[in-house]
Amino acid sequence: MHLMSSKPQALNSIGPMRAFASNSKKVSTELIEINELLMGFNQYYSEYYKQLSDTWAVAQKKVNQKAPEVPQDVEQIDSFKRIWIDIFDNDFTELFDSQKFGENYGNLVSKELELTKHWNNITNVILQSVNLPSKEEIDEVYKEIHSLKKRVGKLELELKKRGIKKNAK
Amino acid sequence: MQNESRIDPKIIEEMLKFSKNVIEAPKLVSAPDEISLEVTSHDVVQEMDKTRLLHYEPLTDKQHKTPLLISYALINRFHILDIHPEKSWVRNLLQQGFDVYMLDWGTPTSMDKYLDFDDYVNGYLDTYVEHVKNESSTEKISLQGYCTGATIATAYTTLHPESVKNYIATAPVIDGWRDTTVISNLAKHMDVDKMVDVVGNMPPEFMYYCFSVLKPFEQGIEKYVNFFKNIENKKFVDSFLRVEKWLGDTPPIPGELFKQWIKDIYQDNLLIQNKMYVGGQLIDLKKIDMPMFTQVAVGDHLVSPECSMPLHYAVGSEDKTLRMYPTGHVGMIASSISQKKVLPELGKWLLERS
Repeated sequence: MHLMSSKPQALNSIGPMRAFASNSKKVSTELIEINELLMGFNQYYSEYYKQLSDTWAVAQKKVNQKAPEVPQDVEQIDSFKRIWIDIFDNDFTELFDSQKFGENYGNLVSKELELTKHWNNITNVILQSVNLPSKEEIDEVYKEIHSLKKRVGKLELELKKRGIKKNAK
Repeated sequence: MQNESRIDPKIIEEMLKFSKNVIEAPKLVSAPDEISLEVTSHDVVQEMDKTRLLHYEPLTDKQHKTPLLISYALINRFHILDIHPEKSWVRNLLQQGFDVYMLDWGTPTSMDKYLDFDDYVNGYLDTYVEHVKNESSTEKISLQGYCTGATIATAYTTLHPESVKNYIATAPVIDGWRDTTVISNLAKHMDVDKMVDVVGNMPPEFMYYCFSVLKPFEQGIEKYVNFFKNIENKKFVDSFLRVEKWLGDTPPIPGELFKQWIKDIYQDNLLIQNKMYVGGQLIDLKKIDMPMFTQVAVGDHLVSPECSMPLHYAVGSEDKTLRMYPTGHVGMIASSISQKKVLPELGKWLLERS
């Protein structure tokens, strides 16, 4: 009777649902934090497109001033296209070179990375529920392999140098 | 009186022709997979992790004694130096009688995220230099670095000057604070610690974004309009597709290497100040005392001349030459200017010292 009643419990203790359930609070926390992050992300995202559209509007005004006539023949179209491309490339390069663009883009990417980090954390909960290694655990293995390769490389070099010295004698 | 606007029939004709070219493009253009970027015959003479050392077959009966090893950039692949028989950097040097080796950095995977400057400088590059020295029975070689490959080659040359007879720096990334490009602006505002911590290696997609903000209208619109206009010109199409295939194939950059590159070159500018460390060793540019040739492109919008030129003035070499060419970053190595002007000058300089 005791064995029979404990069996389902034993199954439950090693199944994925139990592991997932014990970590589900973490998933909720991550989702709340993602939500808060999204607000910051949207702020930089809107600013990014505002900078692009403002630059577009100014560049288009410059084109209109420089080429007010509607092109009538092939040569005029080519000239108009050249003016349009030169002005747009100059104005957008000026934007991409500016501190305000660099800062906003840096912040935008940073927020995106934070979102990715939370997403990774949620994935880790799922991975742990099925006894698979987390990203951090895999990174540890990569680090260890890198360190071992470096040590082996140095030892091989040392052996090679000793071999050369021996042959020289 | 009504204003009548008359449309030139030539415009309609041009538009119809353009539309026809767009529709017929799939019939006239090869698929990217059908284009081989390996133009000049070579052997893979050594492999280490994902990197390879290529040795090109000679095109002359006799070769100059000192072999040349090219350290290509970390962005995109080495194929641009051998993109087309008529524009091949490698082929031109072979025709001038040089013995040419190329370093292919390969495609790092997530597993390689801990590879750093030390691994590239004192690991891969040093191993391959030793291989070239042994294979050609010489004590010193000529080393050429291109773009970020020149940053690695510069660090290597300061740490191992005894192995380098001549050093050629082509559009080297050296002085990040003086760099006036869009890339440098983005790099200066990047939280690179966070990026490497979260995504590991620098993803190619990020590099494609950086490319897309460089002359976006010329490169994003005009270039493709020209392509469709010239769709029946086989030579133009072949050349265009080769460069496009090359542009669309950049490998990830190992996280730790990318982190140090962004911080030490663009954010803290340590290299030009002789304050950068690689594998615990100080990179002192004054230790570059062998003949040095620096090549800079005036119209370079990836590595501005102001970023490259300080190397010429910072090294300890007495025999040093600085050349500036009226072209761009890629134009300097794969164009008619490179064939007619850049390579003959380099060949002459190198021959006198090989």
